[in-house]
Amino acid sequence: MGRILHDVTVLDLTRQFCTALSGAFLADFGARVIRVDLLPSAGPEPTGRWNHEADLIHRNKLSVAINASTPRGREVFAALAAKVDVILTDWQRDELAALGVDYAKVSGTRPDVIFARLSGFGPKGPDQDLPVIDELAAARTGAMPILPQPGQPPVYTGAGAMHATGMLAFGILTALLHRMQSGEGQEVDVSLFGANMYSSALDLQAFLAIGHGDRLLNPISRLDVSNPMSGSVYRSADGRWVTLTMPDTDRWWPAFSAMVGLDANDARFDTHEKRTAVNRLALIGELEERFSRRPAGEWRRMFQEKQLSADIIEQFDYPAHDPAAYANRYIMELDHPSFGKVKTLGFPIWASDSPARLESLAPCAGQHTDQVLHELLGYSRETLHELVDAGVLA
Amino acid sequence: MSKALEGVRVIDLTVWFQGPVSAQYLADFGADVIKVERPQGGDQARGVRSIKSLEIGDWNQYFLVINRNKKSIAIDLKKPEGQEILYRLVEKSDVFLSNLAPEMLAAWNLTYEKLSSINPKLVYATNTGYGRFSKVSKPSFDMTVQALTGIMARLGEPGQPPIYLGMGSGDAYGGIMSALGILLALYECRRTGKGQSIDASLYGAQLYLAAPHLQAYLAGHESSALQHSRRQVENPLWNLYPTSGKWVFLCERNEDARFAALCRALRNPAALADPRFGSTARRRENNEALIAAIEGETLKYGHAELMKALQGAGITASPVNNFADVIRDEQAWQNAYFMKTWCEEVQREVEIRGLPVTLSKSPGEVHSLGPQLGQDTEILMMDLLGYEWEQIEALKAKGAIP
Repeated sequence: MGRILHDVTVLDLTRQFCTALSGAFLADFGARVIRVDLLPSAGPEPTGRWNHEADLIHRNKLSVAINASTPRGREVFAALAAKVDVILTDWQRDELAALGVDYAKVSGTRPDVIFARLSGFGPKGPDQDLPVIDELAAARTGAMPILPQPGQPPVYTGAGAMHATGMLAFGILTALLHRMQSGEGQEVDVSLFGANMYSSALDLQAFLAIGHGDRLLNPISRLDVSNPMSGSVYRSADGRWVTLTMPDTDRWWPAFSAMVGLDANDARFDTHEKRTAVNRLALIGELEERFSRRPAGEWRRMFQEKQLSADIIEQFDYPAHDPAAYANRYIMELDHPSFGKVKTLGFPIWASDSPARLESLAPCAGQHTDQVLHELLGYSRETLHELVDAGVLA
Repeated sequence: MSKALEGVRVIDLTVWFQGPVSAQYLADFGADVIKVERPQGGDQARGVRSIKSLEIGDWNQYFLVINRNKKSIAIDLKKPEGQEILYRLVEKSDVFLSNLAPEMLAAWNLTYEKLSSINPKLVYATNTGYGRFSKVSKPSFDMTVQALTGIMARLGEPGQPPIYLGMGSGDAYGGIMSALGILLALYECRRTGKGQSIDASLYGAQLYLAAPHLQAYLAGHESSALQHSRRQVENPLWNLYPTSGKWVFLCERNEDARFAALCRALRNPAALADPRFGSTARRRENNEALIAAIEGETLKYGHAELMKALQGAGITASPVNNFADVIRDEQAWQNAYFMKTWCEEVQREVEIRGLPVTLSKSPGEVHSLGPQLGQDTEILMMDLLGYEWEQIEALKAKGAIP
């Protein structure tokens, strides 16, 4: 089985979860991803518990530890940067420039480098150098106030940062395909601002097109949803919530009405127009009352039986025990060298001939310094010893 | 400027949102995306008339934006003659993408086995609901799948109903994942000359979307599955605060210097000069009291006034904007996250979501909004697939094309 990106070397200069995960995604599909740990590294203190985060966002990576505050450290860093195909970073531009690993410098010696950076607000404009913080970007994107029920605080979901994970990898792959044909490298920028705008996809586009509308600016009560049978949530008898997505109510009404115990010919609800406009609030009221009569599990059995587009709103214990999550390797069990059998997040994409694979967990800082500098830069054992002794490498 | 995906031809047999937006990413970067639609009505999203009871206006932005830069060919795939046309298209294409149910694709003789036997280089991509190896068979829409992942249940204040991440949020993530899978397989194919089959399911994408919290849960941190109140966050300096106007998101580390700066910004109120808030550890221990105290101060300000005071003290924060603010945000327009483009349907420029991935030398572009149903059927059949006009007439007579 092929590793799709086996001929791609990535330098991973990341601090944030979402950017590091983007590097891990490329590594899952075979890229050689070299993470630079700067010395002296504070590093996380050992807690005696599994560092589940590192083993997700740094899995399949190599680590090189460099002291970039020394001139020789910066030389090694720059030499390394000139050897890779892709640089993936969320560092600020002035910081990259000070270390000599900004795009201008690296592309001077390596014109075909792909330089992918996560920014806060994009490569242009007055706010291009604002801090790279997802909460700031999300707050500015407009979706937070409308997610909760009326009167509740705005909601930060973190989905924007996760969109950035996917978009960065997409930008890198697009640039790699372009380079394959043209030989040309380039800069790739994905911002948390832009990523948040795409994660709140439809509402934002609707408001942009319409230019007004209280229902797109303020939260909508769950008892005032536009379509009682779509995008709605109802509390069941055991307190668990059910949710319905049956936008085309004509198609679902016969089976659905029978299930909740309403007469399909009830004159109040016998057309889509009546269900979603004229008697919308009356239908919501009926459903609110009827869903409270049975526990969520019973509703699920009936949804399943009638093949309705509806389900229970679950907590993480559901996927953690869902055979389908394991069958598709969305979640995996692994034998951890220190912590035994653990569960970890797997891979979102299945590929028949060259699937993602987990070959190694997060490296220790500097675990591959010798190996990488020997392979990529041809450093001899003596040179490496000397640099370690001088405190330049670890 | 050159286009990154020029020369890549994509058959886009998708409906609604996830599949179309996946192909949109490819089309934005120059792929030749041919949307294949049923002659009667085409993609159901063409029929969207309202969003949250709001009329969508005189143009259907739901359909037209995510199907931009594409061509449209109308084929009745239930007919063997229609399938034959698609097979010819497969010979000339690099990617086949569909978010239709696998059973439907099988019924129309459009399985991976069949299509790869016609073109072994083909990348065959699906967007299933729950994954190729799932035994469940049930309808899969964005929100009902999101409900299963556990993401919704952990959001909102304790006791409040679960929170949906936003209309189309799960489809949007499935879409970028699908585009990524296709590019990976294309990369492999360029090197080896061999295609393969990939799947990016709605469920798998949204489990990945939950990564930070789901991974913590899997490692035994059970509280990451639960709702948490903003009145109890560990670091009161990184939190949402109300003003007399909009909310403000404060993003600062719990450090003495940052707390001092915040106090300065708020004009050193007595309520914050409390020994309970005198060190990092004490602010963490007395988080609830500190959050209440800060909130007591921020409520005395309007958001613009508070932002000015915070910025003056070098505090990192943002007002929690609404969409009316965002559509006027200069930063979004300068980076082409919003763009203006011509809309044939209404014969004027309209405003659309633009290009969230910025490539410096082979940037994306928008040259047209979504196509008319079947607008390119005849020209594609003649120029690309080599049909004679008489054959086209015969296929029309059989109802394989409109």
